[in-house]
Amino acid sequence: MITFENVTKIFPLGNTALNEISFEIEENEFVFLVGPSGAGKTSILKLIMRNLIPSSGSVMVDTFDLSTKKFKETEKLRRSIGVVFQDFKILPEKNIFENIAIGMEIIGASKKLIEEKVQDVLHLVGLKEKAFVFPIQLSAGELQRVAIARAVCGDRHIILADEPTGNLDPKTTWDIIKIFKKLEGKKTFVIATHNTDIVNSLKKRVLILKDGRLIKDVRKGGYEI
Amino acid sequence: MNSIFTTIRRAPYQSLATFLSLVLTLFLSLSIFFLLSFLYGLLGYVESRPQVTVYFQTQTSESDILKIKDNLISSGKILSAKYISKDDAFKIYKDLNKDNPLLLEMITPDILPASLEIFATKPSFLPQIADFLNKQPGVDEVNFQKLIIDKLLALTSILRKVSLGFFTYLLISTIFILITITHFKIALKKDEIELLQLLGASRGYVRKPYLKEALLFGFASATIVYAVFISLFFLTRQFTESYLTGINNLQIEIASLKITVWPLGLEFALILYAITLLFGIIISLFSTSIALRKYIQ
Repeated sequence: MITFENVTKIFPLGNTALNEISFEIEENEFVFLVGPSGAGKTSILKLIMRNLIPSSGSVMVDTFDLSTKKFKETEKLRRSIGVVFQDFKILPEKNIFENIAIGMEIIGASKKLIEEKVQDVLHLVGLKEKAFVFPIQLSAGELQRVAIARAVCGDRHIILADEPTGNLDPKTTWDIIKIFKKLEGKKTFVIATHNTDIVNSLKKRVLILKDGRLIKDVRKGGYEI
Repeated sequence: MNSIFTTIRRAPYQSLATFLSLVLTLFLSLSIFFLLSFLYGLLGYVESRPQVTVYFQTQTSESDILKIKDNLISSGKILSAKYISKDDAFKIYKDLNKDNPLLLEMITPDILPASLEIFATKPSFLPQIADFLNKQPGVDEVNFQKLIIDKLLALTSILRKVSLGFFTYLLISTIFILITITHFKIALKKDEIELLQLLGASRGYVRKPYLKEALLFGFASATIVYAVFISLFFLTRQFTESYLTGINNLQIEIASLKITVWPLGLEFALILYAITLLFGIIISLFSTSIALRKYIQ
């Protein structure tokens, strides 16, 4: 469960990224964060993974209170979160298997368990045949599928995606969305996007942001720019 | 281990620069340490030779010489005094010239002087002892090695100071070079480090590959330097031996343990390797740790 209560984030130079934002995301809920550039979507994702600290208000993720200045469980928190980036962040010198395995290696999982889980997610994203090829040999869509596989591999039950389809063509975009849909109800998804087509067709909960404020929270909705 | 070799292969120039800096520092440090050990051994050797030798006129009686010896012992300034009679001197002479019968025929025990070989408790007593002996009746000549010891002491002291300065400079420059190289490596892997941190990697997990690599570099460079040094030592052994003719053994004292420096034995060879290895690993790990602390937040 993710809870934001009157969260404000002001950067050191004085610009306000978020202004008195409050919402709750239930476990295994599927939520879109939408809004124009600079609305505060990425700031919300960064606050959830404690890449940013709120200036005021409270951010709770599961039992972690991230508003505490001396929060010492960042590593533990991040091990429960999978992140998908717009630019994929796939390591070019590691093969696909190794790229996906990273998330499990850092928690000290056994080789056997890593092998098993990585094969499972490779099957999920349809890249089983490409386990040992290198990123340079993959298309953008395939790279994003690797990033999703890495995010969902293991016990990461919150998946944050920042513009996951931003660099992809329409067909590949829908392939990626299909993967998210396969996992719906099993993990909590918070997806920041500009893509109105996806949001409108999936009819999931939408948090609409503008100028750092939450202007609408639609339970089964869409949105227009 | 494979991942370390892969990292080295992917950044060959940085790895080579690290390795070469370490090799140079370790080779020079090992050479300095060996040279200083050798000099201290030589100093000990010279100090262990008779420090004052007094030759008596041939007509001086044994009882007069022994009286002088007793006076010296009762002064408390000497450690020991050995009386070499005319016969003993002749035996030594015969021994030294056994291959030259002509020289042996020319000499009889009567013409060789009796002598005393004296070891002082402190080198500073040497001039006083020599003074005392010069004033005694029947004394022909007094030889003492103060000058040699003083020169060797001065040389060792200068060399120790110069070495310390040079060594400090070398150490600091190597640490800075290694910090800079590690910084480059961290910069090259910035994206990977950022990703690992976002996925919840601990500090230890992020730093481990760099520390492992530092350990490997420290170990490899120390071992290679040691192998090269020992090879050079054995290659130049004949030359050194010819230079040290008559000196069978040079020893130094480390923590009340006497260690033979010359000829090179297993004990000193192992000490040299252990010091080089320890030093290599410490420099490498220390520099890398500083770089990691500074550049990985």
